[in-house]
This record gives sequence, structure tokens and C-alpha cells, in this order.
Amino acid sequence: MDVLAAADDLRRRTLVEMTQPLERLIYLASMRDYNTGLYYHQGLATRFSEEAACEALAGCHREAFEELVDASLEELVHELEAYLQNTRVAPSGFIAAWKGLEPYRVAVPVGIDSLSSELVFSNLKVALAILESRLAARPEPGASRHLSPVQ
Amino acid sequence: MIALLLYLLVGVGLLVFLWLLARRKGAPVEGCGRQFVEARQALRTLQEGLLPDNLIQRIFDRDDFRYVMASSPGDIGELFLQERKRISLMWVRRVRCEIRNLMQFHLDYSRLHAKLSLLTEIRLGLDFAVLLLACRALRILLYLRGPYGARAVVGVMTTAAGRVCAVSEESLAFLNPLALESFRRDSTGDGAAI
Repeated sequence: MDVLAAADDLRRRTLVEMTQPLERLIYLASMRDYNTGLYYHQGLATRFSEEAACEALAGCHREAFEELVDASLEELVHELEAYLQNTRVAPSGFIAAWKGLEPYRVAVPVGIDSLSSELVFSNLKVALAILESRLAARPEPGASRHLSPVQ
Repeated sequence: MIALLLYLLVGVGLLVFLWLLARRKGAPVEGCGRQFVEARQALRTLQEGLLPDNLIQRIFDRDDFRYVMASSPGDIGELFLQERKRISLMWVRRVRCEIRNLMQFHLDYSRLHAKLSLLTEIRLGLDFAVLLLACRALRILLYLRGPYGARAVVGVMTTAAGRVCAVSEESLAFLNPLALESFRRDSTGDGAAI
């Protein structure tokens, strides 16, 4: 019962601002201790209990991942684009880091079948390539300034 | 004389055959709990990890391909096809592996515990044969024609796998009766219970 209430609280207070499953996935994965596999959220643990908070976070994490499994490639590209905008990092740096480090690989919840996770990784790889090609096709923000004197 | 020799040879052959049959060990009834748990695990992997409709639809969905071809350069299209081929081959390999685990379980142990009728056993045997053949055919087709070249075989495979899962569910029902009830409620037609 506590777990359901904690999950509801988590959805209403924290996750409601994260409309994209990818954003929620990365956020919820960051709540997990890599050494123990347990999730921790101070606010939730204070309001409910550490166990309930952990279960609620794990459930929402799994939910976000399942939404990503069901997402089409087009949706995934949009999600990645929105996530990139929210991070406010330079797009080229973001894409280089995501292609090199593949941070999404450590964001998979426990108990997910390896085929589902491989499908998501594979789709994210292609989505990153699509996003990279789109960004390369767009003119850099400073480029027009540099070009204008020549024109 | 030749006829006598032939009859003798046939007789010796039959004796050897009988001796081999007599030597064949049946599956031990005691101590086979691990095999049941492994079979249950294989069944769960099939039902929850490999055969859900949404997963299969996602892997073999042509809309993704159309989207990539319409919105990106050719090299990304190639990357997409390579990736989807890899995933679809991985799917076939995993399904085949779990089906073989279930088949081995049925050959060795399930008859000791489940009261399957002869007709069900024949159907099950045919389904296993169809599944293993379909897996092999699908692998070849995926290698040759890519991830979108074998939609019909995927359909045959998932339908047969659903039937095999349903029969295996009966054989393993005693391990998890509550889960069986929920599977029965959620099952639809010939498809796998998800």
C-alpha cells in the first residue's frame, strides 16, 4: 500500500515535469546506488519509508523503460532531441559523449530481458545518428555571423 | 541359404534393437526439481521476454524503416538495417534456445507429471517440429533478405510458440498455480499468454 502511495507521490511531484520516458529513465537510474542496486530518494524515504521509496522508484524506472521499448524510432528521435534541449549542453558534445560512453547502457532497470534492452540500445544508436546528421545539416548559430561579411 | 542368412540377420538386428531399448534409461523421477524450475524459467522468458506482441511488432515494424529512409541519408538507412537484422537474429536465436529447453523438458520429464492426452502430445510434437524448422528458415531468410523479408514465417513461429507455451503451462502448473490463473485470464486465442 505504501509502495503504491509512494509511486503516486513520485509521479505527481517529481516525474510530472518529465514528459519524456527517456528523461525519466535517466533521472530514475541516477537514483540507484550502483553498488547495491537499491534506489534512494530522500524526500520519498522521509514521507514513506526507505523500502517503499525504493520499490516505487524501481517500479517507475521499469515503467519508463517499457515505454522506451514500445516507442517507435521517430518518437525516440523526438525524445532524444527534447532531452538534448533540456540538458542545455552543446549538441556536438552531447552526441560525442552519448556515442562514446553510451550512458544509457547503465540505465536499464533490473530484471529486464536482454533482448528488450538490446532493442532500445540499438534504436538509440540509430536515433543518435539521425540527430547527428540533422544537426550537421543545420547551420551553426555563429556561422551566419562569420559568413555575412563575405556575402 | 541366402534367405536363411537374411532371416538370421533380421533376427539379430531385432534382438540388438530390443537390447538397446531395454538399456535406455528413463528420466529419474526423484531429484528433477531443477529441470522443472529451468523449464518454468524458459517458459517465463518466452512469454514475458520474447513473445509479447508489442516487442515482436516493434522489431519487425516497417514504419521505422520507412521513417529512416524518408528522413536520413543512405548510410543511416544501412546502419538501421544492420542493427535491426542483428536484433531480429538475436530474437530468433533466443526463441530457438528456449524452445529447445522446453522440448527437452517435455521429452524427459513432463510426461511423469502432466496427464497429456496422446492427441495433445502429437500436436505438441508437431508444434515443436514446426517451430524448430521455422526458426531455421527464419534465420536463413533474415540473413538473405534482411529483417523485413520473412513476416509470414514470424507469424507462423509466434502462433506455434503460443500453443507450445500454453501446453507447457499445463505441465508446469503445479509450480505456480496463482500465476497460471492470471495467465489463463489474460491469454487470448492461440497467442502466447503475456
